Amino acid sequence: MKRRQFIQAAGATALSTPLIMAPMVNSAKAQAATVRWWYHFDNPQNTPNDLIAQFEKDNPGIKIQAESIPWGGGGDYYTRLFAAIVAKNAPDCAMVKLSSQAQLLEMDALEPLDGHIKNWAGKADISDNIWNVNKAQDGKQYYLPLQYVVLYLYYRADWLQAAGLQPPKTFEEFLAAAKAMTKGDVSGFGMRGGGGGHDNWAPFIIGNGATFAKGGMVNEQALAGNRFYVSLARDHKVTPASAASDGFRQIVDGFKAERTGMIIHHIGSANELVTALGDKVSAVPVPRPANGKGWTMFGDESNAVLSGSKNKDAAFKWISFLSSGGNNVAFNKLTGQLPVTTSGASSWTLHPKRFVDASAASLPLAGVLPDSPKTADFARTVWPTSMQRALLGQITSDEMMKTIEAHYNG
Amino acid sequence: MTTASDTEPAPPLVLTPYLFLLPAMLVTLAVVLWPVAETVWMSLHNFILFKPRNVPFIGLGNFWRLLHDEVFWLSLGHSLVWISLVVGLQFLLGLATALLLNQSFWWRSLARSLVIIPWALPSVIIGLTWTWMYDYNVGVLNDVFLRFGLIDKPVAWLAQPNSAFFSIVVALIWQGFPFFAVTILAGLQTISAELYEAADIDGATRFQRLRFITLPAIADVIATALLLRTIWVANSLDVILVMTGGGPGYSTYTLPLYAFLKAYSGMEFGYGSALAIMLTLLLLLVVFIYVRRAARELDQ
Repeated sequence: MKRRQFIQAAGATALSTPLIMAPMVNSAKAQAATVRWWYHFDNPQNTPNDLIAQFEKDNPGIKIQAESIPWGGGGDYYTRLFAAIVAKNAPDCAMVKLSSQAQLLEMDALEPLDGHIKNWAGKADISDNIWNVNKAQDGKQYYLPLQYVVLYLYYRADWLQAAGLQPPKTFEEFLAAAKAMTKGDVSGFGMRGGGGGHDNWAPFIIGNGATFAKGGMVNEQALAGNRFYVSLARDHKVTPASAASDGFRQIVDGFKAERTGMIIHHIGSANELVTALGDKVSAVPVPRPANGKGWTMFGDESNAVLSGSKNKDAAFKWISFLSSGGNNVAFNKLTGQLPVTTSGASSWTLHPKRFVDASAASLPLAGVLPDSPKTADFARTVWPTSMQRALLGQITSDEMMKTIEAHYNG
Repeated sequence: MTTASDTEPAPPLVLTPYLFLLPAMLVTLAVVLWPVAETVWMSLHNFILFKPRNVPFIGLGNFWRLLHDEVFWLSLGHSLVWISLVVGLQFLLGLATALLLNQSFWWRSLARSLVIIPWALPSVIIGLTWTWMYDYNVGVLNDVFLRFGLIDKPVAWLAQPNSAFFSIVVALIWQGFPFFAVTILAGLQTISAELYEAADIDGATRFQRLRFITLPAIADVIATALLLRTIWVANSLDVILVMTGGGPGYSTYTLPLYAFLKAYSGMEFGYGSALAIMLTLLLLLVVFIYVRRAARELDQ
């Protein structure tokens, strides 16, 4: 072939290739949907790659692009999610919590899943309690439950036994236990006054009769509950001096270092505490008022399909895969929380039984913070700032409650 | 009568320099001027991130609000104390370190490398490291102080308003003094040894050598370093955010931290932008002095 002929042939081939390939590429695109999914794990070394591989094997037309997003106490994750939604670059689906459902609905960012769920085979394997907790105010189901935890009370069984006390059931018993364990450099209760501490505080306030409705944070029960909680640090001195700034890591490490006798957290810490303390640590539901039902935080986590997604069906297939039977168990082994499926819960072996039992016993008390756009700022800024000021004596306990009332209903 | 300007033709418009500048100008436009313009736009609106359909124009409403916001004034006061303490003490420590590192000793090269470490570490790592050093239960500071009998019981460094603020100041001084040390050391090495020899012959004391030779010779370096560091410290929030998040209460709130929390915690991007612009306006004075100095140095 002469040089000129070669160049002509090569040029013609180069020009015609995209024309020939175009239908093939378009056809492949039509078949293969890529689902972008945002997730966050406490332990970044855990990855969902095995689950993704299994899903892609079962669903050859769908690729999962999993993107690990920093949690940052929730603030980092949701700021990124909201910004991505505003910039119209949101993922197809994402892990979400109820505390942000109202904000996401305000942004028209959530796709109702009722139609999909109605026809989903795994629906019956999730209890009605969990479906109901996750329902939005408009009655629709935007979230597909994925995992849950319930906050309960960890306590030092050996110290209580030595003091001749039973695990506390009421506020009074809790105070007595905290006093009995406060000795030298040991404090009875590892209070969490820093970020995220609102879920340690809520059992004493909502559990005592406070509500987030108008006037509900300044009624007599609410004020009394908060006075009791603040007095643990200010009057009874059964908390560490660092309580005002202690966050999750500090209360867990203080408990592990045998510097505190009780902390409030969920089953996610159980294995770490057992590794450090063995049988000395056990758990019961959070204390409640002598004449009241009590309350504890339901720590939810679901998946949602974003309304801007162009692959909604494929996205639902992926998130429903994660909430199904054995897959849900495998997923929760990565996160250290509890499966939402009834079948998964019955065969759960990741945590010692006493902590699974404490979680189950806490479910009747479990609730969530109000489905309001103001809840996220309450948890991230309003509560820690006003709680710390109350603990430091810069404002009174009642002024703290007025601040919270004003935030929600001012 | 005709002048030269009447008879000489106007010089042709030379585009070449502008074309060379164009890429840099476009990049500056994209990464500096456009975000600034957008921040100004947001500051004039009640822009709440999760209400993108309802962004009303409120003019200077956000600025009026901040003038009546006690947390703004508190944060501004903290910022002023913060900048003065951190920059001032970083400078003094940096100057002392530079003078030491300018002496001759056998492990000087190693010392000069080691002193850079705090400056080279990411701020988040520094924040976490100091948080755990200050920790009430397991912190090394309490442990060491107790062993040496300096305290009789552990101190909750980050849980009390005054100690929290000054604890963070200490962490920031540690982080930033190498910048001054290295910058001033570079300046010290430009001073001619003959000046010191002449001073020795004249019988100058150590202090007189420092006062009349060293400091005047590095005055420009010090001034530039102080101005730059003031701008950086005034804008920095990362270490505070990691160590206390502004707490306990509002004890460690500074202006950039308050703007950040309003935007990224409260999702009030409009008000957060107004706070950021107010900080910018205050810093413009420092920037103005810095730019004038930089321009003067270029002219020389």
